[in-house]
Amino acid sequence: MASRSGERVNLLAAGWGRRCVREQSAPEFAEDAILVSAARDGDRAAFGRLYDRYARMVHGVLLAKAPACEAEDLVQEVFLLALRRLSTLRETGSFGAWLAVIARNLANDYHRRSVPEDRLEDDTSESEIKQGNVRGDHQSPAAILDAVKSLPDAYKETLILRLVEGMTGPEIAARTGLTHGSVRVNLHRGMQQLRAKLSPNASKDRPEKERSEKERPEQAAPLS
Amino acid sequence: MGNNKMENEPQARSDNYLWDGSGEPDPEIQTLEALLGSFRHERPAPVFPEIVPDRRWTIRPWRLRLFPVLVTTAAVVAIAVATFLVYGRKPTPAAVAGWNVSRVAGVPRIGPTAISEKKGTSRLGVGQILETDHQSRASLQADDVGQIEVEPNTRLRLLTMAAGLKRIALDRGTIHTYIWAPAGQFVVDTPSAMTVDLGCAYTLQVDDSGAGLVRTSMGWVGFKLNGHESFIPAGAACATKPKVGPGTPYFEDASSEFRAALARFDFEDGTPPQRAGDLAIVLGESRKHDALTLWHLLARVDEGQRVLVYDRLREFAPPPASVSKEGILRLEQPMLDLWWNALGFDDISVWRHWERSWSGAVTPVHEK
Repeated sequence: MASRSGERVNLLAAGWGRRCVREQSAPEFAEDAILVSAARDGDRAAFGRLYDRYARMVHGVLLAKAPACEAEDLVQEVFLLALRRLSTLRETGSFGAWLAVIARNLANDYHRRSVPEDRLEDDTSESEIKQGNVRGDHQSPAAILDAVKSLPDAYKETLILRLVEGMTGPEIAARTGLTHGSVRVNLHRGMQQLRAKLSPNASKDRPEKERSEKERPEQAAPLS
Repeated sequence: MGNNKMENEPQARSDNYLWDGSGEPDPEIQTLEALLGSFRHERPAPVFPEIVPDRRWTIRPWRLRLFPVLVTTAAVVAIAVATFLVYGRKPTPAAVAGWNVSRVAGVPRIGPTAISEKKGTSRLGVGQILETDHQSRASLQADDVGQIEVEPNTRLRLLTMAAGLKRIALDRGTIHTYIWAPAGQFVVDTPSAMTVDLGCAYTLQVDDSGAGLVRTSMGWVGFKLNGHESFIPAGAACATKPKVGPGTPYFEDASSEFRAALARFDFEDGTPPQRAGDLAIVLGESRKHDALTLWHLLARVDEGQRVLVYDRLREFAPPPASVSKEGILRLEQPMLDLWWNALGFDDISVWRHWERSWSGAVTPVHEK
């Protein structure tokens, strides 16, 4: 086990290996590896510490795809699934990226199970949005969350981790396995697109021809 | 330059606050944080069920007493296995290394064998072919590599499942990949380019003509054929054509004029004036983050046009001090790499390291 960790740290030093490794500080990386090993040996407290460290990230990933009211329950499902599969994780330093994939898959499965295929658009907080619409309140938390969720995958996940979960860019990179560069670009470009969507004149300002077929499903739900 | 710097300062402060909460708070982002904070995760850790520890060998007295019995049993089993291997049927590749395949819809097939609803799962071994028809979908998973979602009308082959290299060939169809193996270890061959995972998630499509399209949703991906290489970060896409190789990557929110001109420039056999016209459209329509496209174009335009691309790229992203105009115009790789790293997409040394490590070992199957 020790030699495995040593090997990974060497990869880290060489700037090689998975990005989640490169972006994670060495002590944090080592601590994750220790916690994962301890959890495999039956230490529930160690797994609890991994939960404390990664639950916000998992929640953010789920919230990007699944309804807000389901996200907390799904977080627990993700961790229970991870607990059962922990022995299959070979690169203990990749725990965060591995967990994020489990969360994305579970969110996708949730859609497959519960949403008719002809209605895959997000229904996160549909009732709340409708209430917001009735009030004409375009700035309600639910309407804003809906606008974030209408962004492309990479942007919405990163923005939710930043704006909802309160994680910093470096934290997002360390927890999800993305590089600082990718997170910075996602935040910057996601924020630009979110501003455009939340602008009261957004839909009027954009010529119809500019809105491609592909883009349309990504538009925020009509709020008027 | 000074004025430009001053104009950019509020933007830089805002970016710093968005990045790590440092610098002057941006009121708009603070408002969003306050409103969206109501959705934040708050539930404490549940009581997790008892964890069954990994079975590891530890010396205990009863194990010592059993040692001779275990050795004898192991020897008998080894002889039996060796006899089976020598005289019996050879094991199928699937039994050695491969991906677990789950049926998602319809009846996917591995070779002639259907994965029916009743069967549910199977295994794709090295050398085997997975095919889905118009209503079948499948999911592949390998614990230390990642997951691949296979869409209908797809045909893929597992080429290699070695320790440092996992390689499949996508002959046609669509796959969505989520890879957690170390960067550079997961490679997909298509009829018109080789795709190297340098990040986490991307979608790859190949049509019946062998033309492909990669769209990256997280991390970044490298595309390579015939000396052409393209890097596709999250939010960007890149097409590839047989005998031509990868085109120039672009962000998918670029204008339709920009994308159409770029496609013509990359893949159509236009006259020099037509190509110059398409390049002019691309340069004119480009925005700051289209630096991605412009950087790639430096090596793809004629020598006489390179300075135009250089000037436009410099407007959006000035090169680092150690990068000279002459060096870029001569296409000196270290300078191009330094400029790429300054664009903020990702660190190109990951790709260069991969190239050095795998030079010769991973030649695109269609490269000549």
